[in-house]
Amino acid sequence: MTRKEIIPQIEILVEADAGALSEQTLLSEITHWDSLAAVGFIAMVDENFGFTPSPKRIAESKTVGDLVDLVIANLKGQ
Amino acid sequence: MSGVRISGMRIAGIASAVPDRAHLPTEFYELFGKEEVLKVVNSTGVHKRHLAPPGMCTSDLCVAAANRLLCEGKWDRQSIDAVIFLSQSPDYFLPFTAALIQRRLGLSTECAAFDVNLGCSGYVYGLWLAGSLIAGGGMRRVLLLMGDNTSHVSEEDKSVALIFGDAGAASILDKTEEPGEFIFVLGTDGRGAKNLIIPAGRCRKPSDATTRLRREDKDGNRRSEEELYMNGAEIFAFTLAEVPKMIRQVLTASEKNIETIDSVILHQANKFILEYLAKRMKIPMEKMPLSLGEYGNTSSASIPVTMTHCLRDQLSRRKMDLLLGGFGIGYSWGAVTCTVGEIVMPEMIFLGMDEIDGKP
Repeated sequence: MTRKEIIPQIEILVEADAGALSEQTLLSEITHWDSLAAVGFIAMVDENFGFTPSPKRIAESKTVGDLVDLVIANLKGQ
Repeated sequence: MSGVRISGMRIAGIASAVPDRAHLPTEFYELFGKEEVLKVVNSTGVHKRHLAPPGMCTSDLCVAAANRLLCEGKWDRQSIDAVIFLSQSPDYFLPFTAALIQRRLGLSTECAAFDVNLGCSGYVYGLWLAGSLIAGGGMRRVLLLMGDNTSHVSEEDKSVALIFGDAGAASILDKTEEPGEFIFVLGTDGRGAKNLIIPAGRCRKPSDATTRLRREDKDGNRRSEEELYMNGAEIFAFTLAEVPKMIRQVLTASEKNIETIDSVILHQANKFILEYLAKRMKIPMEKMPLSLGEYGNTSSASIPVTMTHCLRDQLSRRKMDLLLGGFGIGYSWGAVTCTVGEIVMPEMIFLGMDEIDGKP
């Protein structure tokens, strides 16, 4: 799984158009990024990547890239 | 503890009560906007709730459920050896509510009575406690009451305002010679205490003018420190970590599997969580009854409310192999496998303000 493959899954989660998000997109600028989306993100990562991301680190994330980092870091065993 | 076994007890009857006033999510359209409300409802699955009017306590719902149960089962009130009131919404700071209930129900003065403070894991803990009193505590008949009301929820806090419903339930547990075991898994992780909490208004942080003041958080929700705070993402992460493990443990200890269980009744947290758990645990949704669409998340009463709402016909007529599981505030969790059936099970009670029995 590469970084580029994770972003479309986040787009589905926040009902954004395909290709609408980049790593630089601020979460605060995404209409549907809220506490429900954070729960959805946890479920998506659990289902597709087999681990539960830290809710604290999700809350601290500022950009889409930060969310991608969370997934990639775990996959690399960090 | 995993695999605690209690035998010599049976569930003899279960009754559930809710306030007669139904509330719909449309009431929140003006405050949060229709689109936002529908988004929450779509995720939580809570389309209706019954909420107590001011002055109606959890104990009133429990007393109504107990009175109906005692009447339908034709049980002698003097035969109740112990009454347990399990709730986070007592009548008073003190005295404990079970004492008031002993009088209101006309139970014997030789009856043991006490309160237990637990939430979503409460039904399983209550069965274990009642079973322990029967198996080792010399009791022959225990009346187990539980439930909560939502009076400490801010209607301006979207993360909690649309989820919780009020309910009270009563169960009668009897000593029996019949074979059959209740097999329990129980657990606690106090690191989660901060994620579901009313921070002020008791000893740790007494009530004052500042704790009563509602403030807006970063998500735009407004609540005071004397109202319920819930971190939904943390609770969900906890659920994913502990609930599948708890279910596996109780099935292993019972030498059962999902195929041999007739019904899996989980605490009615919200639809998203329950459907996700079902998918991950490969539990068919037909085996996982839901009551949250009609009654919301009813805290410790959610398992008996679901049994009354969804399984009343079956449980009145035949024995079923059940897996019950509760999880939430504390964090605290518990699961049990047991055989329940041919029990006294009145219809859902809808309690009006003018129907409260023996109000103190």
